[in-house]
Amino acid sequence: MRVRRLIAAAMGVVALAMPAAAQDFIAGIPREEALIVQGPEKQNADWFNMWASGGGASHNGQQQLTADTFWFINPEGSGDSAWTNALATERPIYNDDFTQMTVKLREGVYWSDGVEFTAEDVVYTVETQMENPGMGWSAPFQVNVESVEATDDYTVVFNLKQPNSRFHTLFTVRWNAAWIMPKHVFEEVEDPASFAFNPPVSLSAYVLNNYDPNGQWTIWELRDDWERTSIGMTLDEEPDVKYVVYRTAGNPDARVIEQLNHNLDVINDIAPEGMFTIARDAADTTTQWLPGFPFAHPDPTLPAVILNTKIDELSDPRVRWALALMIDIRSVSMGSYRGAANISALAVPPTGAAIPDYFEPMQAWLEDFELDTGSRTIKPYDSTIAEQVATLVRPQWGDSLPEDEDALKRQFGFGWWKNDPEAAGELLESAGFTKQNNQWMTPDGEPFEINLLVEGDNIPTLARAGGIIAQNWSMQGIDAEVQVAGPVFGDRLDVGDFDAAIFWTIETWGGHPDLSFFLESYHSDFIRPIGESQPPRNLQRWENPELDEIIEANRTVGFDDPEVVELGMDFLKLAVEEMPMIPLMAYNKFAPFDTTYWTGYPSIDNPYSASGPFWSNLRYMIVQLDSTEQAD
Amino acid sequence: MNGFVKYLAERLFQLFLVIFLGVSLAFVITTLSPVDPVQVSLSQMTSFGAVDPRSVELMREALEELYGLQGTMLEQYFNFWRRVLTGDFGPSLSAFPTPVMTLIAAAVPWTLGLLGLSLAMTWILGNLLGALAGYFRNNTLLKLSGAAVMALHPVPAYITGLILLLLFGYAWPILPISGGAQMNLQQGFTLEYITSLIRHGLLPAMAMVLVGIGSWFISMRSLVSNIVTDDHVVYAELGGVKSRKIFSQYVARNALLPQVTGLALNLGHIFGGTVIIEFLFNYPGMGRLLIQGIYRGDYSLVLGVTTISIVAVAFAAFVLDLVYPLIDPRVRLG
Repeated sequence: MRVRRLIAAAMGVVALAMPAAAQDFIAGIPREEALIVQGPEKQNADWFNMWASGGGASHNGQQQLTADTFWFINPEGSGDSAWTNALATERPIYNDDFTQMTVKLREGVYWSDGVEFTAEDVVYTVETQMENPGMGWSAPFQVNVESVEATDDYTVVFNLKQPNSRFHTLFTVRWNAAWIMPKHVFEEVEDPASFAFNPPVSLSAYVLNNYDPNGQWTIWELRDDWERTSIGMTLDEEPDVKYVVYRTAGNPDARVIEQLNHNLDVINDIAPEGMFTIARDAADTTTQWLPGFPFAHPDPTLPAVILNTKIDELSDPRVRWALALMIDIRSVSMGSYRGAANISALAVPPTGAAIPDYFEPMQAWLEDFELDTGSRTIKPYDSTIAEQVATLVRPQWGDSLPEDEDALKRQFGFGWWKNDPEAAGELLESAGFTKQNNQWMTPDGEPFEINLLVEGDNIPTLARAGGIIAQNWSMQGIDAEVQVAGPVFGDRLDVGDFDAAIFWTIETWGGHPDLSFFLESYHSDFIRPIGESQPPRNLQRWENPELDEIIEANRTVGFDDPEVVELGMDFLKLAVEEMPMIPLMAYNKFAPFDTTYWTGYPSIDNPYSASGPFWSNLRYMIVQLDSTEQAD
Repeated sequence: MNGFVKYLAERLFQLFLVIFLGVSLAFVITTLSPVDPVQVSLSQMTSFGAVDPRSVELMREALEELYGLQGTMLEQYFNFWRRVLTGDFGPSLSAFPTPVMTLIAAAVPWTLGLLGLSLAMTWILGNLLGALAGYFRNNTLLKLSGAAVMALHPVPAYITGLILLLLFGYAWPILPISGGAQMNLQQGFTLEYITSLIRHGLLPAMAMVLVGIGSWFISMRSLVSNIVTDDHVVYAELGGVKSRKIFSQYVARNALLPQVTGLALNLGHIFGGTVIIEFLFNYPGMGRLLIQGIYRGDYSLVLGVTTISIVAVAFAAFVLDLVYPLIDPRVRLG
């Protein structure tokens, strides 16, 4: 009798634990019509006001699928093909002195509630945010805009307070931009900054279907009138993806498991080991940016060793160069990414337009670049690094590595600085440092100590890189110690409470050579003393008159002027000479795609769109995917 | 009766003292946190887009005013207590302007369900097995279960959780490894929804039960092993009292008293374990909320979660203290 009861109980448990296949993965939605994308947890699940502080569901599909603005730049592209006119019909039209910008708008675009989008929406967006400090784009509008007017339903004219040749970038999406507000909805509420905007009205091809009050998933559905959107107008036929499900998929290990179980089509990022597991165990049902090792997608973001140039010891370029030459980049690549890194000697990420615009043309200059160590002149650049790293990983990944030298450079990097401890020592000596018992002493006679700040588990690859670099420096006689800052990482960077740190202070458009995306904030006007908050990006507080000249010159030329590339090169050369940060690599993201239900994902061979789930450009990938119709 | 009133008064005093000290300490620690919520928000707003550096200072000032971070620490402390007493922790800074209480109200049922279920299973199973193992010391099956339970006891909860995740999520994928219920399923008292809740809660609950059962098992077995040699048990056996009655009325009931006290003392510790398990299984409870709050420098949220946790744990311990006299008449009679 007891045995029978036990069996009955066991059957009950098994019945509860039946395979997921026995139940729809998403209730009421056919799996073959849904693209499942990794999203972050959204605490304020009921809040969809993207323009107010708090941001709404910006990461969970809202900005990717329902928001729209004038222009998009494909971070993977280059040249004219990377530029998309979205709500605008053509590029920005500036007057001669860049004090006025005119935008011609697309006709026939409608909000999801049937109201037509017009220039009045744009004017309302700008004026409302200027009147409400604390809204997302309030400050940049206040700083720049004297007035904005709709000269007709489809033309907007911005009058600027001072010349600004990059004003249009506020409305140009790389990751996000100033999204247009629905005037007819917001003008009905008393306080636009505290309005939840739930349910949200959409200006793009998808609209909210349902969401979890606990913020773990959000479902977006293709609009019936998807053709009446800027993205819909570019399509020949209805997108296959009817539903897009943004879901939190747990920790990185859980994400790998979820994709192996076909419950997560698009991953934002996992550890290299997770990527290797997927490539090994699910090669037939997954794809990724690169067909073989190192698999990863290089974001237009440049992790580097940020050196606090306001600290006495690090204010001297010779010392900064010495630190660079003490690093063995091969060990950093192997230790951080297990060889799957795309290294960069230039202060620009090796991806998108930077390859044809900067990396390829500047190789000769890098090869010829000479550095005076105080004792001699050396040529520190080593263009064979890609091959060296490839040699290290070939025993494990041999078959999937390209033999072609150019392809290797695209995947592993064009080159880096030689590991030259002897030259590093000469540079330190020329800067007044002395060596006592294998310990470098500063000109003041104190031990040369460096605290190297890393964030920690949140970005494990960079934390590992920090460990390797500190080890490289310690081996050469510098008292280097890694500090894991965790949640206070950003605060410490902000006020300059670090000697060195592994982070990025350079991000680019990816698909455009203009460097103003980060460079504008490098002007000395914005540098704050240690202890005070530094505006984003120039966290190394690098100050240089030549740098200011480059930035000021860049302001006076148009965004698409060929001189932009020349000025970009001037900046990159100066950054090499001054070494305010030691560029390491692109931020390589391991983002495999499940091909069980969907194919046609972007790749290095077909870089038609961004692929990161949090990037607004993802919309261009979603509408291009093809259904495999394999589901039961 | 007087004895019980005195007992009750003492416990009430303890309850309010624990809440006052715990909440005050949480306020001090949270307020001294170096994470600046304005900086975190600013980073989120400026990290990815084209930022006009001239506008950053303006953004900072606006956010400071919006978040209401002005005032001395003492003023903030009194304001905080005023808000606690009215059940209002203000807006969450990381999910601005959603009130902290709204976020907590959405998360509490999940944690209560998971914690309540796993705690009950852990305590009942651990004590039952421990008592049986202590009384029937020569039983092979009980010896084996004892060995298994003790082997799992020192393993950290997140390791057990990770193993379960790999085992039932990957090697034999029969259970969901993430979330609290099936996506897009209408919430309600339907068989489908309850089944989904149980399926999603099984792995996190199992992780907590497997790890937690050991301590109850060990202490109960030890207590029972001592009690079985007490005079009253020996006399009962000699007097021919049935062994089932000796086990339940003479042994287990006496051994249970310190276990009830232990339960009250361990509630806080057990809640701490829930935080890790919720994080591991992406469970939408208070633990995940707390971790998000810490990482985003949202001290309104952290304070809200810790305050509610302190009050809940203190009240649960208080209720257990009130139940205590029902088990031990000596307390009731003074």
